[in-house]
Amino acid sequence: MTEDSVLDELPGDLMIWVLIVSELLVFGAGLAAFLAVRITDPAGFAEAQDALHRTGAGINTVVLVTSGALAAWALRLREGARRGAARLALIAAALLGVVFLWVKGAEYAAKAAHGIGWDTHPFYTFYYLLTGFHAAHVVAGVLVLLLVAWKDAPRNIEAGAAFWHMVDLVWVLLFPVIYLLR
Amino acid sequence: MLADPLLRAWLWLIGLSLGSTAVSLWYWPPSFTALAGAVVLVLAWLKARVILARYLGLSAAPFWRRGFEISLALFCLLLLGLYLAPLAA
Repeated sequence: MTEDSVLDELPGDLMIWVLIVSELLVFGAGLAAFLAVRITDPAGFAEAQDALHRTGAGINTVVLVTSGALAAWALRLREGARRGAARLALIAAALLGVVFLWVKGAEYAAKAAHGIGWDTHPFYTFYYLLTGFHAAHVVAGVLVLLLVAWKDAPRNIEAGAAFWHMVDLVWVLLFPVIYLLR
Repeated sequence: MLADPLLRAWLWLIGLSLGSTAVSLWYWPPSFTALAGAVVLVLAWLKARVILARYLGLSAAPFWRRGFEISLALFCLLLLGLYLAPLAA
């Protein structure tokens, strides 16, 4: 006789949830530290933030949540035995991840062209650290999406999509704190 | 087609993302800046809720959904407190 555990309620593998919680704690600590340091120089942080492209970051948010939707649809399609459509959805999700990185790269290039580096102001130290670490997760996520498009067992797609949703979740918290709070 | 929870979630996320960007780009008189910040953080919390419930599938796990939502709400309150702290100084 098996005993029901509340852990069994969790969709997908337990370890992906351990990863999701770990990542949320790391990025959460970074965002809290960012706002704590801002208390010492709110005017300097506001001035530094004005050099960011808020609309571009907003568009990137739309790109990422759309990519997340495609990854979620891919799992549903695969569970419905529509393998080809699931693979296409995963590849499209990965391509949108590349679009996100391309916009991010353009953003970094524009900062560099204006002589803005990680040591220009504490704002930019956090900006490069947090958005750079997130971008590294996007790179990993794109590779994971392509991997599970290839090795497309439903369990693989579920784990890969969950990783991608974690990247999405971190961004929807990071975006307003770094780009929008004035 | 809008009966599809995943499609609804995606549309909500698009709307909330554009909404928070619009709130930030709008000119707010200095006395309303804190309110705008609070609205942006509430929208962020709502977006996180949608991702947890619909993308990550916690809508089927009410215990965990409630736990994540409460934790995220407390975290957003911490962020709001830190954001408002310079105004109180």
